Amino acid sequence: MIDGFRYTFFGMLALLIGCSGGTSVQMDEDSPPFEQLSKYQFFTGDPKNLIPNDGVLPYELITPLFSDYAEKARFVWMPTGSQASIADIDESFEFPIGSVLIKNFYYFNDARTPEKGKQLIETRLLVNRKTGWDALTYVWDDQQADAYLEIAGEVRKINWIDHRGEPKNTTFVIPNKNQCKGCHEYKKQLQPIGPKVRHLNKIYIYQDGPMNQLEKWQQQGYLEPLDNEVAELPNVAPWNDRKALLRDRALAYLEINCGICHGEYGPANISGLFLTTLTKDSNHMGVCKSPVSAGSGSGGRKYDIVPGNPDASILIYRMESLNPGEMMPELGRTMIHEEGVGLIREWIASMEGDCPESL
Amino acid sequence: MRYFIFLLSIVIGFSGINCTPKNNHTNSPILVDVANFEKHLQELLITADSGAVIELPEGQFDITRSLSLDGIEGITIKGQGKDKTVLSFKNQIQGAEGLLIKANHVTLEGFSIEDSKGDGLKLLDSRGVVLRDLNITWTNGADSTNGGYGIYPVACQKVLIEHCEASYASDAGIYVGQSTDVVIRDNLAHHNVAGIEIENSRNVDCYNNLAENNTGGILIFNLPDLPQAFGYNVRVHENTCRNNNFENFSPRGGMVNTLPPGAGMLVVAHKDLEIFDNKISGHKTLGLGIISYLFTRRPFDVKNGFEPFYYNVNVHDNVFERPDDIADQTTEFGQMISALFGGQPQDILIDGIFHPDTNTGQPVCFQNNGEDLRFNNLNAAQAEGVQGMLETMDQNLAAFECSLPGLTVEAL
Repeated sequence: MIDGFRYTFFGMLALLIGCSGGTSVQMDEDSPPFEQLSKYQFFTGDPKNLIPNDGVLPYELITPLFSDYAEKARFVWMPTGSQASIADIDESFEFPIGSVLIKNFYYFNDARTPEKGKQLIETRLLVNRKTGWDALTYVWDDQQADAYLEIAGEVRKINWIDHRGEPKNTTFVIPNKNQCKGCHEYKKQLQPIGPKVRHLNKIYIYQDGPMNQLEKWQQQGYLEPLDNEVAELPNVAPWNDRKALLRDRALAYLEINCGICHGEYGPANISGLFLTTLTKDSNHMGVCKSPVSAGSGSGGRKYDIVPGNPDASILIYRMESLNPGEMMPELGRTMIHEEGVGLIREWIASMEGDCPESL
Repeated sequence: MRYFIFLLSIVIGFSGINCTPKNNHTNSPILVDVANFEKHLQELLITADSGAVIELPEGQFDITRSLSLDGIEGITIKGQGKDKTVLSFKNQIQGAEGLLIKANHVTLEGFSIEDSKGDGLKLLDSRGVVLRDLNITWTNGADSTNGGYGIYPVACQKVLIEHCEASYASDAGIYVGQSTDVVIRDNLAHHNVAGIEIENSRNVDCYNNLAENNTGGILIFNLPDLPQAFGYNVRVHENTCRNNNFENFSPRGGMVNTLPPGAGMLVVAHKDLEIFDNKISGHKTLGLGIISYLFTRRPFDVKNGFEPFYYNVNVHDNVFERPDDIADQTTEFGQMISALFGGQPQDILIDGIFHPDTNTGQPVCFQNNGEDLRFNNLNAAQAEGVQGMLETMDQNLAAFECSLPGLTVEAL
């Protein structure tokens, strides 16, 4: 009786304030964040299966950020009737207020056989509020039943078997709220990184079949209709596709792993090193560029990139370092990305030219 | 139940939104919980209201990840004194600095940062910074794996650094980079590679500091290829630079690695600089060196107004005392000076590579810096290597005896 009253009472109140409950996504950008991820109802059924609810669209980046070999499942949601637009083809989409980007980090227990299950670590939300983008991190509980809001970050020990059958472990560091901005800063504002034309312009295999992501977003009403065919629009190279040009693969990798800070408008622009696919000047790209404030991060090497000589290049030293004071990126990595370093080594080795002798 | 929580969160939300901002001046300090220090402090640095005073209790606290403040204005972090409140990063597993600040109107005072894996205290893109009574150090002594910078404001405006101490940084104890309107006073920098370094910064007043037992005492550099392309209007006065003969323990590669032990002050490619009333003593290699960027033979681009030359450098009324010692042999720079001068310490050295446009005025003026100075102009523009400089160099100090108008710095 009392329970019934309470449900009715609060149910009506909820209706009055415009919340229908039900099974649709619950996102009100004016409200403070839920403590529990499941309350948003981005996923249907058991939350850990990450089955997207209506309006929650999965997406992938052509070349993703390396995060200690974690797998990532990305989704986008926008309020009904709203859509993103493109103000500058080179920059992130302009998202409508209330949009949410959802990024789940997990490891397969055994990467060779995904059916053996996975461990979800954290789910990061970027919510576009009237006051700007807000970064929220939800940490999954041990039972994998739900994830809980955590602003100060956390450290997790993870064990898994990689795709070669080797047992791996890492100390996965879940970022605090300030650290989110450490990477997601562009023109001094917190901004999404991935949703740019050149990172999304690829085929994705949706439930109802394969389709170019930019076309799918338009079909879904999530992106303003584009004047150009997707084939005419830019796309970065897939970093691990040996059919693509080595330089394009290397720059695509550097852009997504380094270029957000090391770009003209990123927080590491004070270094003068710009690692993006749009960088034209070879000195700014690091070729024969002396470090400015690398400290011990230089590894005793004189230039960021020495053509033909990866072992003399600071870039490689910092990618291969695990010392927090030297390594790059500064955040989001506690392991060496061997395949990524291999690519950048191959690219530097292929470059021609010399750097001058200096004091 | 779902609705209940939903409603509750809305109520909390509105109360949060509607609450009027607290008065900055009546904020009582929030004391960080000793038992849960790291997490509580980081939470406060994320959730504090603008103007909050965060008080650190006395004690030594173990920190495992970089601490950061981002975007909240007017925060004060106040310890019980730099000898009483210590943040130890010895067991740090993540982050390229101990404490990272990106926020305006921030005051940090009365605590120490020890053994951070990277830089000790970094302030990026912040306006209105007060740093007072801080100590940044590495407790294992001189080690090339120590963090690069102790106190490191970069791309900041309106910065006051006073009564701080910095030691054992593998680059510079106090480093001000690409910043504008800066006062550095009454600080102690010792056992760093560079004691105090001012780089690509504008309107800087650096006075009454003590730099001793570093590799080099005070460096004033303009380096190429940076967003703030060059610095100018810098005054360095009433400082004591003494016995900066410490080994250069910086990792190879950086500019500072070329610094020879026994360097009092070094100027690279700077303009509108006044160095006066300093006491520079006990340096086994050179008291004051002034060189162009060309002298380093490092490549660079001329753009956004960067010039590799020094000009309008006014050096007057300083006291130089050289020791009876042998110049450094451990660095290329030191070996060059040794070869040029038979291992004898020099007071003042200039490379003699001047701006080709003589409209830029006097490259450098020296006046009233004492008698019996060992002065050398390498005239390196016409010289090829050490052999060449042995032929081109001269000791004609009189050629640069001139006066320039004093600079005015109104930084704060």
